[in-house]
Amino acid sequence: MINDLKTIMKIQGISSREGKIAAKLKEMIEPYTDEVSIDPLGSVIAVKRGKGKDKKKIMLCAHMDEIGFIVTFIQDNGLVRVSPVGGINYVAAAYSTVKFEGGATGIIVPEGRVEPKDIAPDKFYIDLGVSKKSEAERKVKIGEGCAVVSDCVKLYGKRYVGRPFDDRVGCYVMIEAAKRLKETKDDIYFVFSVQEEVGCRGSHAASFTVRPDIGIAFDVTPSGDVVNASTNQTVKLGGGAAIKVKDSSVMCDQKLVSSLMELAKENKIPYQTEVLTYGGTDTCSMQTVAGGSRAGCISIPVRFCHSQSEMIDMGDVEACIDLAVAACTAIL
Amino acid sequence: MAKGLELLEKLCQAFGPTSCEYEVADIIEAELEGKYDEHITDFIGDNIYRIKGKTNKKLMLSAHMDEVGFMVSSIDENGYIYFQTVGGFDVKVLCGRKLFVGDYGKEKISGLIASKAIHQQSWEERGKATPIDKMYIDIGVTSKEDAEKYVSVGDYAVFDSDFVHFGDGMIKGKAIDDRLGCAVLCDIINYIHENKITPDFDLYFCFTVREEVGRSGAVITTNRIQPDMAVVLESTAVGDIAGTPEQKRVAKTGEGPTVSVMDYGTAYLPEMVEFAMGLGKKYDIPCQLKKYVSGGNDAGHIHKAVGGVKTIALSCPTRYIHSASCVINEKDYDSMFELAKHIALCKVDETPLK
Repeated sequence: MINDLKTIMKIQGISSREGKIAAKLKEMIEPYTDEVSIDPLGSVIAVKRGKGKDKKKIMLCAHMDEIGFIVTFIQDNGLVRVSPVGGINYVAAAYSTVKFEGGATGIIVPEGRVEPKDIAPDKFYIDLGVSKKSEAERKVKIGEGCAVVSDCVKLYGKRYVGRPFDDRVGCYVMIEAAKRLKETKDDIYFVFSVQEEVGCRGSHAASFTVRPDIGIAFDVTPSGDVVNASTNQTVKLGGGAAIKVKDSSVMCDQKLVSSLMELAKENKIPYQTEVLTYGGTDTCSMQTVAGGSRAGCISIPVRFCHSQSEMIDMGDVEACIDLAVAACTAIL
Repeated sequence: MAKGLELLEKLCQAFGPTSCEYEVADIIEAELEGKYDEHITDFIGDNIYRIKGKTNKKLMLSAHMDEVGFMVSSIDENGYIYFQTVGGFDVKVLCGRKLFVGDYGKEKISGLIASKAIHQQSWEERGKATPIDKMYIDIGVTSKEDAEKYVSVGDYAVFDSDFVHFGDGMIKGKAIDDRLGCAVLCDIINYIHENKITPDFDLYFCFTVREEVGRSGAVITTNRIQPDMAVVLESTAVGDIAGTPEQKRVAKTGEGPTVSVMDYGTAYLPEMVEFAMGLGKKYDIPCQLKKYVSGGNDAGHIHKAVGGVKTIALSCPTRYIHSASCVINEKDYDSMFELAKHIALCKVDETPLK
């Protein structure tokens, strides 16, 4: 089971360069849905037609893009300057190995004598191990993307660490849910969105195309069980599916939130309540685009989000899959 | 002097701060009379000129008409006018600048942005930029009553700045961001008209409002047209000025329009970047990748509108952007026109839409 997740984590796709991961996800969702297409920005939109009367459109959405960097400048000495794509934690990124779209490898490092408090994007560069601009230009080009290398290692029990669980684990939850779903009353749209990390842009466009009645995002949420976490971060790793009430981009539909909680109780699915004081998800675009929809989010708890050591608990992932299946078959 | 540059001069000299773009729209309407198939306007002031194509694939070409400016917020007992900025400014470029104050359809009067002379400044104030709320516009009157004969709260102001050719093929003027884009769009329409071309794409030339504040013009226009592809014509800051480290040099003047890879509003699709750069190469038009991620433009709202629109941004490298003296290279105007024209006249099958 974890192998499918590992497969989609290995394929690089930073925001706006999701072509390869989109092709893989399309291939994986195709057997379980009736129609699949890729929209102008690159999002995969698949639909499983419902058999009921007065069908609603339920849109499930997880983003396929990951954070990374984009090459902006190659210096005479062959060092490569990059700009962040999405919210990079530079403390975490320092001295990591990065892989470029074209296949080149390098390490991202801070300039000398940069104190931790002075860390800023323009104080970083990528060393390709070359010593001349011409050598660097043979390996990478301006505008090319790269990301910290992917990884997935089992720790203890159901816990895994690596990257990018944000948000390939959400994509995985949707694919597993599609596999387990039997006949439904409503049309279920499986949307794997692009460009979430740079501002939920892919889901903005896709929501216009789908125009859902109900939208449910599947994304990661920071786990509060780490040393010195904010006291109002109550989500715990291993505590089950996190049902979002709010983040700084959205106030979730109250009725949908309570329906999801009821469903979890009925089906004995472990769940917890997520009230996030920051962050944003595709939930917000599903809620507000076109005529708007009733939107919510089932979150997968993750420790150390946006680092190369994101940690998840497969028990939580299972809970999210079960809740997704329950939600698609229930009357919301 | 190329005809396009004469039009650019006229457009740059027009009074058109954000939400008061009517004078610019009037000039464009006069310039384009009889050269289009359809003219669409909306309640907010956007102007769309359509030239029908052989196919039903819609290409939106967009430039914004508004410029950064000021709005009168209060007039004091001495007739001094306090103001707020409309759009993004570096306050350091404001002091001592001549302005035109007024509104659409109203006579514009001269004024200047003033603040305390160095003699009257405290030691703490010296050497620091005067904050906006300590600056005022002096229109040469001595009482509130006199000032109110000419100016009302809610009136606008823009820089009073000549359009000058200088140096080695350079131009200096205000509002080059984005009257240059408007002039290029007009030039493409003129070209299509003069050569009696029927383009492959159904072309929508969009002169949008309110880019500098909120970008609502682009949002409304895109929702109305629902284009298949979009090209945004803009101005961009350059880095070929003193004190900028090489890795932060966005682009150089004289080396053609920039093709954006990423800015704060848009992560451009690689196939669109390659398409634009490829056309430049094919037709031998100078163009360059925008090498530093900064700024944003109407593309940010266009590309994610409706079901998603494949979007390109071409920008003319502009020194001292958002000041009274923006500086561009004439050659870049020509290159931008050529590249945008070739995109507009491209066959649908030769674009990433195929």
